[in-house]
Order: sequence, then C-alpha cells, then structure tokens
Amino acid sequence: MRHPWCAAAFSPGQFMSKITSGKLASVLGLAAFLTLAGCATPPPDDDPDAVADFKQTNDPLEPMNRDLFQFNDWLYENGLTPAAKVYRAILPRWGRDRVADFLANLRSPVILINDILQGNFTRGGVTITRFVLNSTFGVGGIMDVSTPMGIPGHVADVGETLAVWGAGDGFYLVLPLFGPSNLRDGAGLGIESTLDPLSYYLDDNRMRWLATTRFLASGLSAYESYMDNLEDVKRTSLDYYSAMRSLSRQRRAAQIDDAKTGAWAPKDVTKLQQPAKQDPTK
Amino acid sequence: MKNTLSLLLSRLPHALAVLLLASSALMATPAGAADKTPDDAKAFIQNLAQQAIGTVAQRDLSDTERNDRFRRLFVASFDLPQISQFVLARYWRTATPDQQQDFLKLFQEMQVLNWAQRFKDYKGENLTVTNAAKDGDKGFTVDSQINRPAAQPMPVQWKVHVGDDGQLRVGDIVVEGVSMAITQRSDYNSMLQGNGGKVDALLTALRTKVDQMRASSGG
Repeated sequence: MRHPWCAAAFSPGQFMSKITSGKLASVLGLAAFLTLAGCATPPPDDDPDAVADFKQTNDPLEPMNRDLFQFNDWLYENGLTPAAKVYRAILPRWGRDRVADFLANLRSPVILINDILQGNFTRGGVTITRFVLNSTFGVGGIMDVSTPMGIPGHVADVGETLAVWGAGDGFYLVLPLFGPSNLRDGAGLGIESTLDPLSYYLDDNRMRWLATTRFLASGLSAYESYMDNLEDVKRTSLDYYSAMRSLSRQRRAAQIDDAKTGAWAPKDVTKLQQPAKQDPTK
Repeated sequence: MKNTLSLLLSRLPHALAVLLLASSALMATPAGAADKTPDDAKAFIQNLAQQAIGTVAQRDLSDTERNDRFRRLFVASFDLPQISQFVLARYWRTATPDQQQDFLKLFQEMQVLNWAQRFKDYKGENLTVTNAAKDGDKGFTVDSQINRPAAQPMPVQWKVHVGDDGQLRVGDIVVEGVSMAITQRSDYNSMLQGNGGKVDALLTALRTKVDQMRASSGG
C-alpha cells in the first residue's frame, strides 16, 4: 500500500531537472532517483492515533530520507566537520565573521528579488539599505555595519516566497548535502540557482571558478556556524533524525511566518543591543 | 508492633517537614493562581536567569556540583509532570504508573545534564526580558533575548503557567521558533513507534543516554 504522495514524489524532481540548468538540478535528480529506494508504509486504518501521527509527520519517504540523513551525517562527520575545524584553527572568530558578512552581503540581490516577490517592500528597502551601507562603509561587505546601526538583516529564499504565495510543504525531504528540507523548498532551491544575477555575471565572464569558490565558502561558513548546535542535538536526542525533522520544520515555519507578516527583525527582539565585547578565545 | 512504631517514629520528622512545607506554600499563595500577572511572569523569568547565571554558570564548579545546582533550579522552576505528559503524548496514557515515575526521573536527569553542560561553556551571556503577555487561562508567554558576546541576540520565548502548587512554572522554551517540548515529543514518539510503542524501550534508551552523559560530564 503506497501513500499517494509517494507515487507523486517521483515526478517533481524529474520536472525540476528539466527546468533548471543549475548544479542543483543534478542533486534534485538524484533525490528523485532515490525516491525509488523506499516509501514509508502507512499504519493500518484501525489505529487512528498512528494514522494521525503519520499524517502529522508528513514524511511518506521516510526510509529514503533516513538513508540520505545518514549519508549526510557521514559526510558532515568526515568532510565538513574536519574542514570546519581547520577553518576555525586558521581563522579566528573575528575573521570568520568577516567572511560570513561578506558572503551574506553577496546574497542581497537574491534576497531583494524574493522580498519584492513576497510583496514585502519594507523588507526590500531594508535589504537595499543594508547592501549600500555594508558595501561602502562596510568595505565591500566584509563588515556588517548596518546591524549595529539598528538595521538587522533577514534572509529570504524562493521556497519561502512560494510559501508566502500559499504553497504548502508538500512533504518532508532530506536533500543530499543540504539536509532537512521539503518538496517546496527543494524546488525553491533549484529555482534559486537560476535567479542569482551574480551567478550569471560570473558565468558570462568565465569566472565559474569564483562561483564555485563562493558556493564552497558559503557551505563551510554556514556549517561552521551551526556545527555545535548539530552536535548538541545529536548528543541529546534519542532519534536524531526525528529531532532534526521536527526542529528544522519548526524553524522554517517561524521564518515563513515572519515573511508573511513582513517582520524584518525577529519579533521578540524589540531593541537590539550592541554585541558585547568580543571574546578573542573563540 | 515495635517495628511499626519505630518506623513511624523514624518517619515523623519527614512528615512534619512535609506539613511545614505545605503550610508555608499555602501561606505564600493565599489567593491562588488567579492573581498572577504578566509582570509576575516577567519577574519570574528574570529571576530564573539571574539564579542560573549566579549559581550554575560559575566557572570553578565541579561537574557534580553544577549538576546539583541546576537540578535544584530545574525542580523549583519547571513543570516536569506537565512537560512529561506533553512529551510522551498518547504513550503517557499507556504507560504504567511505575513507568511514568521512571520517565519523570530519567527525563529530569536528561534535562539537568544537558543544561548544566551548556552552562559550563558560559561566556558572559545574559538574558533580557522584553515582553510578557497572557496566554490562555493560566498561562503567559514571556519574550526575552539572550545577549551573547560577539553575536546577534537570540530571541527566546518562555511558556510560563501557574502550576498545581500555585507557583509559576516553565512549561516550554521556544528558541528562534523552535519549541523544546515539541521537538522532544517528535523525537520520543518516533523512537517509541520504532519500538512498537513499548515504553520500556524508551526508558532503556533514556537510561543509556543519561549514563553516557554522566560519563562524559563526570557528574
């Protein structure tokens, strides 16, 4: 007995690989291929609690997702974690923050496009203001000077835009390398790789290597920033996979909620405080 | 007969202590739950953070001492039974009273070891309460932010309610939109489902986890 989503899951990935030219197409193609690897068996109808759980979990491809999750975990443990540790060893916290700020500033065009597509014009204005301030006073984006001035940043992506437009999650999906996602956000990731003006510019000027460097640096920088949190969840959970599924889904829902209301600072933070004195040991 | 008497006598101090505690608790909350205000909830969280920083986060503590201090704070400030029922969801009903008790103990120990470990890496973070609002009949949401050295403040929301004893208690912590209780509920329920809903399997896994954490923290 197959869940209807399970059968349907095969086609969107294939569809995506036709319309995206980016590197993500192959990733999604792989995800679609692996879909064949397994579908969760729905619980029998006479167990309403279990059926409710199954619906709420919304993870019809769980066996495949678990395999991919394990694969990612292996990849992180043996590839990204050692790399992040080297990165930490050679570049102190201050330097890593400059890298993160620079890479975040490069994302501004994509964020702006999504702000506008979401109809969040205030957020769009914030994105432009930050881009101008950080690119100039922030020396080409390496210093986020806007946040201390009371203009904190936000992120926006295509998956989020699709959600603001009313698209549901589809179902839970673990992407190779990228980790927890869902059908909508996975598709969004594919579309996004075709949306970045900077990528086009680099491609057109035979600077693909720069685009690749940026991709790798972004991955390393992002991973380094949440590596400790991942370790924490792994250490404290009984079923790491389920804890991450729940956690990433809640986090995503909160982001989408912010995008829907157009909030441009985390709504709980009424007054941003200046970061305290830096700890040079970290 | 003599045995029973000596048993009674030996327990008398305890019984008296319990009575005393109960009466002082009653006197502390004469009007009961209804008169707690959002400001009380705010003060409660502020106080909790101060106590944690003042006691648990001290640098020169042994792991055992740190765990003990956090345990006291946790027992006094969190609604363990309510959180446990939420986390176990439908399996709470199928669990025997003994299993429920075991779960309460192990779950508490998990939390204590986790959080004490986190406080070990204390680097001067502090907590500012920004807002509090009523949430349902007996509950409040308290918004706060953790100010961290060299990082953006992290929004943390506390779900506070009036417990059975009339005191304010934490029922959940929501960090950047992620609820601890919901995450644990998913985690434990999946684990249980994978083991045919056997609560004993969960208890065994928890016991192993607690032992591991004790071994690694020395506490």
